[in-house]
Amino acid sequence: MHRITIAANRKGCQVQNEEGLVRRAQQEPEAFAQIYEAYFDKIYRYIVVRIGSEAEAEDLTQQVFLNALKSLSSFKWRGVPFSAWLYRIAHNQVVDYLRKKAKHATESLDGMVKAVVSNDNPQMELERKVDIEQVLLATKRLTEAQREVISLRFASELSVAEAAKVMGKSEGAIKALQHSAIVALRKALISESENG
Amino acid sequence: MVNEFDEILNECLERLATGETIDQCLQSYPEQADELRPLLQTALVVKKASAIQPRPEFKARARYQFRSALQEAASRKSRPVFGWLPHWATVTAIVIGILLLGSGVVAASGYSMPDSPLYSLKIATENAQIALTRSDLGKAELNAKFADRRVTEIVYLANKGYDGRIDDVTQRLDEDLTMLASRTSAGEAAEAPKALMAPAPTIAPTPAPVPPQAPLPEEEPVLGMDSGSGRGQLNKQDELKVTVEQSAADNIAALQAALDKAPESAKPALQRAIAIAEERYQRAIEALE
Repeated sequence: MHRITIAANRKGCQVQNEEGLVRRAQQEPEAFAQIYEAYFDKIYRYIVVRIGSEAEAEDLTQQVFLNALKSLSSFKWRGVPFSAWLYRIAHNQVVDYLRKKAKHATESLDGMVKAVVSNDNPQMELERKVDIEQVLLATKRLTEAQREVISLRFASELSVAEAAKVMGKSEGAIKALQHSAIVALRKALISESENG
Repeated sequence: MVNEFDEILNECLERLATGETIDQCLQSYPEQADELRPLLQTALVVKKASAIQPRPEFKARARYQFRSALQEAASRKSRPVFGWLPHWATVTAIVIGILLLGSGVVAASGYSMPDSPLYSLKIATENAQIALTRSDLGKAELNAKFADRRVTEIVYLANKGYDGRIDDVTQRLDEDLTMLASRTSAGEAAEAPKALMAPAPTIAPTPAPVPPQAPLPEEEPVLGMDSGSGRGQLNKQDELKVTVEQSAADNIAALQAALDKAPESAKPALQRAIAIAEERYQRAIEALE
């Protein structure tokens, strides 16, 4: 049995550098520009996959960094990477957005979660090009936690350990959630391809 | 307790991320291959589709607004010291300080575009910031930031169809980037920018001349803009280089994107802006080497 060795501390070096940078940014806000550049695209992708809309993700991404800048002085190193703190801000931003949106929602997603597709379709057309809209549509059938883990692991390319810190769960829980999310996504994509 | 299949799936995902193929992963787990294969295929599809890039125009606009917020935060944190400045500059600084503290007009002007009545105040404030910043590196950082603003303004003008004003803003972009390069070139004094543009600038865009400086209190930062000297200077120059390289890529992409959508009448001015941005950014990056 192979044991997992590849992912461990893949980004350890980056985090060490990040700590110095964050400490400096707390004294000199302009140093935060480097953190901004390092995380902007990742946070944007995280938000796109969480909310399913590129256009809406733009404003939210911008707000995440403005909020982070405002709160930077309150950030304390307690063994949690800065990225986890930043993603928590993004998560809260997304939750606020979804809550507001839910108030105005005219469509229910309940009916979308009913698709159950057999797994014995070996020639499934997943090899074809699946565009972002299809994937975003499929993610709407996931639970919030599943969508978050997909956003963190695939859109933002965080390690399991980092995703665990962001979501406040154990690494084992993240792996289980990742598994269930991929299964659910597969079903959703098959369902979409069959319907249309 | 961690489920064994969850562990195997995760290991395979990590291996795919390092460039291995699905078949290579499955060779390690032949008994789970039937269950793993469709999940790994799905993961690859999702990963590929998730590689979304933000629009260049959005990135440029967001960076501009974020840098404005950074600048504001830096100003709040710093302790202004005017003792080293001659009388006229002290008075100017105090007047600007009163404006900053006493009214939101100057702050509002920071977001103004060239068709706004506040735009000339924005340019004047930028010139004052340059004049009140002590080190060449600090001034160069400001030039880099102002260049980002110019690109945002050019894209704005192109979108609005105000093509007649694009050349004026391009002139300022040219000057900001030229000053950025000259201020960071080793052993070179800041030289007057060589304008590439035919039309003369309508607003004196060259940063105000810096008067001879009196001896400085060593421990005092100036308006939070200066980089100081010695060990920190090199690090800051490296940081500035990274920032300028990133800005160059994003800003040129933003201008190209604007060119694709611009009306025919605005295209020649945008093409000139792109040519100047490419050449001047290249020179600035070389100067920062």
